[in-house]
Amino acid sequence: MAEPSIFFSEVNERQGVFHRRMFLLGGIAGLGLGALGARLAHLQIIETQRYEKLSASNQFNFRLVPPPRGLIVDRNGAILASNRPNFRLLVTREDNSTDVEGTLKTLSTFVPLDEARQLRLIKDIRQTPKRVPVSVFEDMSWDEFSAINIRAPELPGVTADMGEVRVYPHGGAFAHVIGYVAKVNKEDLTPTGPNSDPILLNPGFRIGRQGVEKAFDLDLRGKAGARKVEVDANGREVRQDEAGDIPSTPGKRIELTLDVDIQNRALEVMGDESGAIVMMDCRNGDLLCMASSPSFDANRFVKGLSGPEYRALAQYERKPLLDKVMTGTYPPGSTFKPTVALAALTAGIDPEVRVHCSGGWYWGGRTWRCWKPGGHGSQNMHDAIKNSCDVYFYQTALRMGPDPIAKTAHAMGFGQIFDIGIPGQKKGVVGSREWKRKAVKREPVWQPGDSVSYGIGQGYVAVNALQLAVMTARLANGKKALNPRLIKSVGGVERPHGDAVPDLPFTKEQLDYVRGGMVAVANDTGGTAYRQSQLGLGDIQMAGKTGTAQVRSYAGLASRSSAGVTWRLKDHNLFVAFAPVDDPRYAVAVIVEHGGLGGATAGAPRAREVMRVALMKDPELRSRIETPMPMPEAPEPLEAEGVAPEAPTITAAPAAPSTAPAASTTPTGGAI
Amino acid sequence: MTVSALTRPGERDRLVVKMSEVDWLFALALCLIAGAGALMMFSIAGSSWEPWAAKHLTRFALCFVLMIGLAMIDLRVWFAISYPLYGIGLLLLVAVEVAGDVRMGAQRWLAFGPFSFQPSEIMKLGIVLALARFYHGISADNARLSWWLLVPAAMIAAPTVLVMHQPDLGTAMLIAMTGVAIVVLAGLSWRIILAGVAAFVVAVPPLVMFVLHDYQRKRVLTFLDPESDPSGSGYHILQSKIALGSGGFFGKGYGLGSQSQLNFLPEKQTDFIFATLAEEFGFLGCFSILFLYGAVIFMALRTSALAHSHFGRLSAAGTTATFALYVLINGAMVMGLAPVVGVPMPLLSYGGTVMLTVMIGFGLVQAVRVHRYSEVTSGKGALM
Repeated sequence: MAEPSIFFSEVNERQGVFHRRMFLLGGIAGLGLGALGARLAHLQIIETQRYEKLSASNQFNFRLVPPPRGLIVDRNGAILASNRPNFRLLVTREDNSTDVEGTLKTLSTFVPLDEARQLRLIKDIRQTPKRVPVSVFEDMSWDEFSAINIRAPELPGVTADMGEVRVYPHGGAFAHVIGYVAKVNKEDLTPTGPNSDPILLNPGFRIGRQGVEKAFDLDLRGKAGARKVEVDANGREVRQDEAGDIPSTPGKRIELTLDVDIQNRALEVMGDESGAIVMMDCRNGDLLCMASSPSFDANRFVKGLSGPEYRALAQYERKPLLDKVMTGTYPPGSTFKPTVALAALTAGIDPEVRVHCSGGWYWGGRTWRCWKPGGHGSQNMHDAIKNSCDVYFYQTALRMGPDPIAKTAHAMGFGQIFDIGIPGQKKGVVGSREWKRKAVKREPVWQPGDSVSYGIGQGYVAVNALQLAVMTARLANGKKALNPRLIKSVGGVERPHGDAVPDLPFTKEQLDYVRGGMVAVANDTGGTAYRQSQLGLGDIQMAGKTGTAQVRSYAGLASRSSAGVTWRLKDHNLFVAFAPVDDPRYAVAVIVEHGGLGGATAGAPRAREVMRVALMKDPELRSRIETPMPMPEAPEPLEAEGVAPEAPTITAAPAAPSTAPAASTTPTGGAI
Repeated sequence: MTVSALTRPGERDRLVVKMSEVDWLFALALCLIAGAGALMMFSIAGSSWEPWAAKHLTRFALCFVLMIGLAMIDLRVWFAISYPLYGIGLLLLVAVEVAGDVRMGAQRWLAFGPFSFQPSEIMKLGIVLALARFYHGISADNARLSWWLLVPAAMIAAPTVLVMHQPDLGTAMLIAMTGVAIVVLAGLSWRIILAGVAAFVVAVPPLVMFVLHDYQRKRVLTFLDPESDPSGSGYHILQSKIALGSGGFFGKGYGLGSQSQLNFLPEKQTDFIFATLAEEFGFLGCFSILFLYGAVIFMALRTSALAHSHFGRLSAAGTTATFALYVLINGAMVMGLAPVVGVPMPLLSYGGTVMLTVMIGFGLVQAVRVHRYSEVTSGKGALM
């Protein structure tokens, strides 16, 4: 490049321009620095308080502390659901670059985590928001816990801490009533309301899924506390500031009216059988036992059930997941007869008018068989209840028609849902003319034949075990239309008793008459459940009523006997009872699904065993039992004691009573 | 030594005399700034010399020696190498375009065996020397307004476009603004300056919308409204402001800055070290550091005013302009007054490349001071 010529004057001119411009640019730089200084003064002197707050909110964080879930106890304070400490292993995804696979691989050297579980966890962790810990392993041993805690600094995003886990000390005994808790699903989270609480995202948090745990979830939850911690930018805890902690409020304690001993005994006597046992206090309506069998271990659900485990429970033909106390409805069979009898008395039928039973009754073009092929002979109402004579009740029901029966059934508690605090009850069916017109579209007119089977608790009638117990308790109480009560208190606040109710619409004489029949069932040597109803507790006696609910049609069969029939096709076996007869305190209803013919065989012995526990636990009755009995005067009781030994006759596989194998072609069968 | 002694021929070429001519107060200010940087690095590493503080001090010591060494080099040598250096820088920028390494999403690095460096750093010095040499050769009238000015325009545009394409917006801006500063210092017509400013104001919005890369545009937009996305791109600015503001007047105390110690502050040892310092030492500490920077700029500009040669004046002032731009851009960024661009606080921030560039530049400034009486010509009698 050719350089242009330079003259001195120009050199001086260039210097002058440079100096002027330099001052200018230097001044601009100075102004710039001054502006920075002013900005600093603004931030650090004028606005400093605002930024101090922001800095503190960066630095300090409140970590939610889940409250201990409320205890659930029985009427005596025995624990039915509590919490136990649990060493958990948590993994937090701090940002998208966190190597979840590598972390889990490393962790699998400390705790057993197989490939399938690792894959599932990777998915879980990906779906969870950043910085929300996910539980990868529960119930670590102390060794595992300490090994991981020591190495925690090398394992980014891994924490081992101590949480609480729900525990049901009685395993399956209360599974249907109390339900269980389980992990929170995405569907549980709502944008508003109690389920918007961030505590639900806590990895150890469990939500009530069934029974009391679900119905009283909000009471049991309590209020979350918080731990003040200093965190770094990745959300890792650096220090704890215990002075800033907010304590959590534990969930409310819920007291049930159930009794651990009675409930456990009920489940025990059910054995492998499928069915339900409900016991109620006849004086105030408290439910002492609500056992559904077979049951399942609620503790398994807390951790999360594996697929095969769940399928095994769901597919088992005896349906352990179904609550047979409230959800299962059954034809009441002959346990409906006291209600029919009461309806007859109310309808003005003279109980002393006798009906002749010859083992069957030809009416309406066919023979309606009594369960006893030879017949009962001449029967009044008392005898008919005692012997469970079908022919008597066929004719009585036909005379009354369905509506008085339905009215009485409603008064006794059938066909209704009781407010016991937990959901899941099925109403069942109480047939009447109006009901049939509405419900049975294909044949809306009530046929006289419907009344005939109605009289023995078959046909258009279905009840659940709870309703049976309520009916028995109302009958035993003899005055009040008792309501059942399951929740005794919530957080120390007593729930209303079940006896603050109007009286039953029956006279004392009517009720006494029917009760007399039930006493005879269990205490007359000829009663249908005499052998199986002897308590062996001094002078305390039990009254009851047997029942058989037909599952299959007997048409074309050689025998009604259930022996040798597949389990699924055997009759349901029912029994209701109360004791002591002279001062009724406890009422019990037993349903043994497919237990075989005759309520006495499968139902009564179980009712007796459960009743014995309840009676012996009652201090007043106990002292009565322990006072020596006066010497028997009549020879009959002696014989009775010999006949009713306390032999373990409560096992399954009921031997059919000596019913004659006479062919019966009646489509609607009888019930015992 | 008396002033008269210095007038003896050859006296000023003696090493001892040259050493005494170095601005040692200026050198002290540089040491104080670098020392403050090391102090902060020691603090945020949790009171540890590793990994930053020791390395920072070692590098500074080496660079300091280099600066004194460069100050001894005759201004005529600087003059002679100015065009070649610019040429090499431009070639390397092209080479980076063709065969450079991509690191952190940008193609900036050239690898020579185990070493790798950014040619754009050479260009920061190259543009200053080349423009100074060019203006050394033209008259004031030509520098004010003439067709000759197309040459410096091209000299600035070529490296700017290449660096922008890497993409490295911060360095490109720095090169362009340094170049413009020299053009203005050399005496550009006010009419052109005002027209340029006007054009800039008009051109920036469309430039931001259409020419910049997505991440660059996002930074600019985030700067305009940092709180719109506090966990995303606004995070840097917000956290930096929190660190500054929460420092207050006296600071939280040495080693007690929660923003930096707990990693809320990003790039705490590099681009945002000023915020770290602000948090722990408050307004007093910040003001002291800004004062030191002001002093460094003032002393460097005074040196440029002392030079007898136009080349010396312009090269010293141009280097100072680069340094001042570093300080102002980083300061504005940290305080939330400018978008986040990767410009560190010179000497305070951790990082070898920028320190080397700045200290070589100050070597030039000191060379101008030491050789302020040198005659620099490209004609006969030139050194090369």
